[in-house]
Amino acid sequence: MSLTGLVVLPGDPILPSHLPSSSKNPGKALTIGPGLRHIPPTTVTPTTGGALIADDRKPAVWVENNSGRYIPAVGDLVICTVQRGSAEWYYCSITPHTPLATLGNLEFEGANRKNRPNMLPGALVYARIVSAHPNPPHQEPTLTCISPTTQKADGMGPLKGGMVFRVSLGLARRLLMGSKGKLDVLERLAQKGVRFEIAVGRNGVVWVEGQGGDVKTTLAVGRLLQEVDEKVATLEEQGKMVEKVARTLK
Amino acid sequence: MTVSAPNARLTTLHRADGSATYSHGGYSILGSVNGPIEVTRRDELPEEAAVEVIVRPSVGVGSPKERHLESIIHSLLRSVILTRKLPRSLIQIVLQVMTLPEESEESMSPTASTCSLPLLPHLLQTALLALLSSALPLSMTFSSILVALSSRDHQDVPTFSPTPQGIRSATSLHVFTFSQRGRCLISESSGTFSFNAYVEAYKVAEKMCTDPVGQDQDEDIMVGLDEPAHNLTSFVRSKVAEKVESEQRWRRNS
Repeated sequence: MSLTGLVVLPGDPILPSHLPSSSKNPGKALTIGPGLRHIPPTTVTPTTGGALIADDRKPAVWVENNSGRYIPAVGDLVICTVQRGSAEWYYCSITPHTPLATLGNLEFEGANRKNRPNMLPGALVYARIVSAHPNPPHQEPTLTCISPTTQKADGMGPLKGGMVFRVSLGLARRLLMGSKGKLDVLERLAQKGVRFEIAVGRNGVVWVEGQGGDVKTTLAVGRLLQEVDEKVATLEEQGKMVEKVARTLK
Repeated sequence: MTVSAPNARLTTLHRADGSATYSHGGYSILGSVNGPIEVTRRDELPEEAAVEVIVRPSVGVGSPKERHLESIIHSLLRSVILTRKLPRSLIQIVLQVMTLPEESEESMSPTASTCSLPLLPHLLQTALLALLSSALPLSMTFSSILVALSSRDHQDVPTFSPTPQGIRSATSLHVFTFSQRGRCLISESSGTFSFNAYVEAYKVAEKMCTDPVGQDQDEDIMVGLDEPAHNLTSFVRSKVAEKVESEQRWRRNS
């Protein structure tokens, strides 16, 4: 991956030399990611301020920044709060002060007319966004707790117990990115023998529960993630933080 | 007398979606942006986001002066923000004036409805920085500057970001806002001035506001001016660069 990291402002011209070169993958269309817009025929300009990142292999180009409000996008995993329920739907809040997303009563693994999860207002749910503006346009997002590929829950569904921690959108994205996110605090904690369950919502919400509902572990893991987020820690620093936390949990 | 260079910090409020503190020449303004959020039925626009601008004075409640400033800022931001990407939502921008220069007319009698122009460029700069911090889609960035024309030996001399004394002795005040590519977005003037003096002020303001990247830099136009030569777009760029630097820290190999 070639990372230019060039600082761009909205409306700046992007030169062809900043875009991924087509020589590595001829014939593949360039993907324009978030923070950029394409003005036909050939102009690409940023719409947000941030670092311009180009990936030669995909090829793709996008603008990366770590601020602002989460805007729902199809396919994202989010942790949301049930606000109220009706005969057929749960109305869930993904971010505060935005229109509520709908989650069908039967959109859970194994749910049917007679047997379905009953969630009260305030309950947490881990769900996937199936539709959001602009597809279809002008509509509130809809959610599901069934994976489209396996028709199973795949970890989604109501979250019971545990605690919720707010992190930045960038950290949530990195947690879901895998090894490319350069974030290995969770793996390192597991190696140290700390047992916990975690769910990461793309909307900047992380749910943690220590094994057997252990509050000490829950808090330690959640606050470690918030500390890593605040300091934007590199891999080396993350290792030191994990050492410190693992010692207090012994 | 020289005016201090502008100073700014991005994301100073942790609960708002975007925020910025901007201070320049004794003015200090805190701006916050929230959006896209739910819009009331009355203000909802079916095809675009509604933009709400609220200007809060340093003392007391808002007056027609603040409403006037809000209307100017609103009309600019509505076209700068790509509102069509976020239909049926609201983008709320609050600009709180924190401090005013000590000798300015506003701080001496804050309730008096004096000329509103000296505050306008600072409000616009704060709004832009807060919007950049909120990562909302924008079509361009802009810079805004106040130019005072005062007559000296029957000649109009332009001064940038004048001091309160400079504002009082000026014959006319002008606020110019340019996009980084040099398109004039706002031109507000008050006082008596000749057309030639206006054109001169326009040209020098354009130089201060537009992006120097990719343009030939002509430094001698700055000679004889009270202001240190700094470009406003470069200033905004440096602030965004600082933010990017701290956000991209994790990519570094340790």
